Amino acid sequence: MNLWAHEFRLLMRQRLPMAALALLTILTVASLALGIAEVSRQRDAISAIPAAQSQDIAAVADYIDSTKDAGSAAYYSYHPTWDSPSPLAFAALGMRDVSPYILRVRALGLEAQIYDGDTFNPELALTGHLDFAFVLVFLAPLFVIALFHDIVSGEREAGRQRMLEALPHGGTALWQRRGALRLILLWAGLALPFVVAAGLEGVSVGPILAIGALIAAYLLFWVGLAALVSRFRRSSVANAAILAAAWLLLVLVLPTLANVAINATVPVHQGAEIALAHREEVNRAWDIPREDTMRRFYAHHPEWSGSAPLGPDFHYKWYLAFHQNGDESVAPQVHAYRAGLESREAAARTVGILLPSVGAQMLLTQMANTDLSAQLRYQDRIRAFHKRLRTFYYGYLFNDLPFGRKDFDRVPEFDSRT
Amino acid sequence: MSVVTLVARDELRMMVRNRVAMIGLALLMLLTLTAVLSAWMYQRGVSELRARHAHAAESTFDAQPDRHPHRMVHYGSFIFRPLGPLAAFDPGVDAFTGSSMFLEGHRQNTANFGDVRQSSPLIRFGQLTPAFILQAVAPLLLVFLGYGSLARETERGTLRMLILQGVARGKIVTGKLLALGLVALIAGMPAMIGLAAIAVRQDTPALPVLTIAAGYAAYLALWAVLIVLISAWVRRSRDALLVLVAIWAVSTILLPRAAAGLADAEIPLANRLQTDVAIGRDLRAIGDSHNPDDPHFAAFKRSVLDRYGVSRIEDLPINYKGVVALEGERLTSSLFDHYAAKSFAAQARQNAMVDLAGLLSPAIALRAMSMAAAGTDLDGHRRFLEQAEAYRYALVQRLNSMQAQDVSYLDDMATDPGADRRKRVSAANWQEIPDFRFAAPDGATLTAAALPSLIMVLAWLAVALAMLALVTRKLGLRR
Amino acid sequence: MPNIDPILISDLTLDYGGGDLVLDGLSLAVPAGSITALLGGNGAGKSTTLAALLGFARPRSGAITVCGIDPVMDPDLARRRMAYLPENVALYEHLTAMENAEYLLALSGERVPVAGIEDALAAAALQKRAWHQRLGGFSKGMRQKVAIAVALLREVPVLLLDEPTSGLDPRATADFNQLLIEVRARGAAVLMVTHDLLSAADIADRIAFLEAGRVAYEVAASGAERFDVRGLHARFQLTAERLAA
Repeated sequence: MNLWAHEFRLLMRQRLPMAALALLTILTVASLALGIAEVSRQRDAISAIPAAQSQDIAAVADYIDSTKDAGSAAYYSYHPTWDSPSPLAFAALGMRDVSPYILRVRALGLEAQIYDGDTFNPELALTGHLDFAFVLVFLAPLFVIALFHDIVSGEREAGRQRMLEALPHGGTALWQRRGALRLILLWAGLALPFVVAAGLEGVSVGPILAIGALIAAYLLFWVGLAALVSRFRRSSVANAAILAAAWLLLVLVLPTLANVAINATVPVHQGAEIALAHREEVNRAWDIPREDTMRRFYAHHPEWSGSAPLGPDFHYKWYLAFHQNGDESVAPQVHAYRAGLESREAAARTVGILLPSVGAQMLLTQMANTDLSAQLRYQDRIRAFHKRLRTFYYGYLFNDLPFGRKDFDRVPEFDSRT
Repeated sequence: MSVVTLVARDELRMMVRNRVAMIGLALLMLLTLTAVLSAWMYQRGVSELRARHAHAAESTFDAQPDRHPHRMVHYGSFIFRPLGPLAAFDPGVDAFTGSSMFLEGHRQNTANFGDVRQSSPLIRFGQLTPAFILQAVAPLLLVFLGYGSLARETERGTLRMLILQGVARGKIVTGKLLALGLVALIAGMPAMIGLAAIAVRQDTPALPVLTIAAGYAAYLALWAVLIVLISAWVRRSRDALLVLVAIWAVSTILLPRAAAGLADAEIPLANRLQTDVAIGRDLRAIGDSHNPDDPHFAAFKRSVLDRYGVSRIEDLPINYKGVVALEGERLTSSLFDHYAAKSFAAQARQNAMVDLAGLLSPAIALRAMSMAAAGTDLDGHRRFLEQAEAYRYALVQRLNSMQAQDVSYLDDMATDPGADRRKRVSAANWQEIPDFRFAAPDGATLTAAALPSLIMVLAWLAVALAMLALVTRKLGLRR
Repeated sequence: MPNIDPILISDLTLDYGGGDLVLDGLSLAVPAGSITALLGGNGAGKSTTLAALLGFARPRSGAITVCGIDPVMDPDLARRRMAYLPENVALYEHLTAMENAEYLLALSGERVPVAGIEDALAAAALQKRAWHQRLGGFSKGMRQKVAIAVALLREVPVLLLDEPTSGLDPRATADFNQLLIEVRARGAAVLMVTHDLLSAADIADRIAFLEAGRVAYEVAASGAERFDVRGLHARFQLTAERLAA
């Protein structure tokens, strides 16, 4: 048996480290299972869209087919969009619980639709997920503390330190060997179940390797902290207390303080103000000459300006035009709102450089496409799709083309990848 | 001086000499004060902002010109959920639910713009509030201060010496408990001062404040007992520390998430798309108001004509379009209520499952108690949504009635150039419509909701005390 | 280097940074195949001498070698030549005697077959039924036997012992002394720190009295009488009293 095998045997006989390693592995597996279950529920919900949707659209088509009115088709048709979970989403569910991953939109004003949420239980969201990111960021450091707080001090307290250090392969090399072995086992307890889960979920090799490295780096930070604390040659119990206090600060207290600081220093005008302004802008159209609305619309969209002038009757092209005018009138606020959200996320990234707990969490959600940026990208896709929808319906409305049952098959479909 | 006070004084002296522990305690108090202030300012800021938005929305509604009532049905109303005063102590789910809602006819919109989607992503690490400090941070500090209280004495053999000198075991344990209890009191003090500052505000109900104070006092007392219990149980202080940190991590960090994760997996919620499609399907099953041959609406038309003893809708003394709008809104609204109730029932079942986990973790029970008493739990949000829906329905039906009463059917159907003018009703009508006022639950309601969880926390305390009594009897006997 | 004593200390001074000399001109030589007992009161520098030999303490001046190797310059190489038994031989309680021996040998860089370890345990007079028992219930004497067995197997030329007989009953002390005689017979240089004069007088070839960081006097065994225990005891007492005053 070589030295490593001896250390392994020694570790195997110790109750606390083995219990800790077993528990960490169990928690990792549980978190992965819960994450995969959640993600597959989300996939099921997304794959159930077409069935529900076709039922809904068929009813609309039945009604529209009698009038052939493209405006009514645009008004009554809801078009689904969705944000499929990335292969890695199971590991870090991020914001997918509080932000919708399915949203239906109409060709009307988008700013009144895009901030809608989906149904979720806020108490469960408040608690947070038990996903792999949680096990790594919150729990793994506690296991590092359990396994590393007494590597040297424990031997000192047992009266073996001198004798071990007097042996040719004892001393620093021995502590390093023991630390490395424990680190490898902790890493394995986290990474091996993850690799299996990632394999099942079809994650490609690159991200798997990256997360394996992230796990190692995050563990190494805590191991380094434990090594630093042990240099003060305090008792095992003092080491454990100091490390647990550091954990409390780094994982629990400082992120909440940073959140308060970020929200105070990076003000974001409430989204509600956009909604209020948008609604005023849209409804104002009923009180101003319809020609004003159309002039403004044509100025921005000359491609439709050749359309016939409005008659005395209600025409949906006017209705949709003032909805689009409404969207365009709040564009600066929308832009500022989004920029505010992005700078809050950027500020959190900066905090992540200083706080490894925050950094690891943000890296994981970033890789898993479950962070705020991913939500904003989904909104971008919705916007692009909405634009296609408008163009599609405008083609009928501004040219006064009939919209029959067959035309429902021509409606643009959301492409979740672009 | 009695033995108990002697032991307590000795233990306190030990803690005071522990510089790291004292710094920790001071930091905790500082942190709590920061939390009290920040939560207070947040509650103030949010309340004012929402009140301002609500006021702005109300004035624009009142300032609408003469309109066709149905235009106002679509103009709708923007309402904002007010934040109760106790949210400054425990904001609960406030940040995780939308705080503003657009109310309009035929549709039930979601509450939007929750802080969780507008705040920095760090919000998922937790919010710095007095409740968070007392639930999560304070117990761990007590662990650091108290893990060695008896284990240290066992380890060094001083405990045996005390017992051999005839000091009753119960008195030693009581003394240690007293000392740690005192520290718990000090640790909880800043948060309680913050609570008191909230309590003196006029709009704060007294009973929930007392419930919250009692609940947190019991919770911290529970931790003090638990710490002394474990310290008495194990032989080495290191083991006491590790066991206590493990208990803390499992009960306050792991179990809440595990319970939430299981509840989420076990009890699925219908998503909005499925609900909307289902409501559409149910509506079609009842009847299609667009279809002249639809049996439901044909029968409805028959009944209206019969009621007024006429044979044509043009002969009705009221506007038939308004009557149909009233009927349509009644139908959709009943379906909204039905599906919302279903969704809330599922969420309540999820929460009940989490509450059950309070049997395994006192932190879960305490959190439920705290949010329920502060009115910031799911029920609080549900109250808002239900009142919002009731208001929406009343508003829309009032406008529909206006259409039925004040706009003639012939005008409503006319398309001549002057018709638009004739269809409108006076702007004075909008000002007469009452604004949305959230009816906050009274103190008794909140307290009643918090009571089951409070009892669970107290039961935990009782069990821990009983176990401590058992362990005390065997103190010093184990090797 | 056949002529150099395995333990050779000359004019060693050492302090722990405070300025007070813990060792102050210590000179000591332990030849191969002999046992030297180092006696002295508390604070005389006994443990520091061992620490210096093991390379844990850095001398201010003087020379120290173990088998010709400077433990300060090359502690690893020096430690290959030494075995060290602390006062309380603490081993791993959740490993058996065999496993402990295997582990310590591995840390010493030795590869010894199981049969070899069994022979050594037998040579160290550990009862056979204890070989595969976990160390949890072992007495100090039994634990020492395991450590001595490891030292025997390592065939180290130098054995350092810190208070080996304190807390041993007379029977166990006799057993242990027998073991040391066995080690000496294999040619090792044994340095044993103790304040048990009687035990030292029983087996040591030389006794060195340490006082204020230097060897105050040194006596060698002579003839069948070996040591004048009574006389040594009186001198030892006197020294202790003088130091106390």
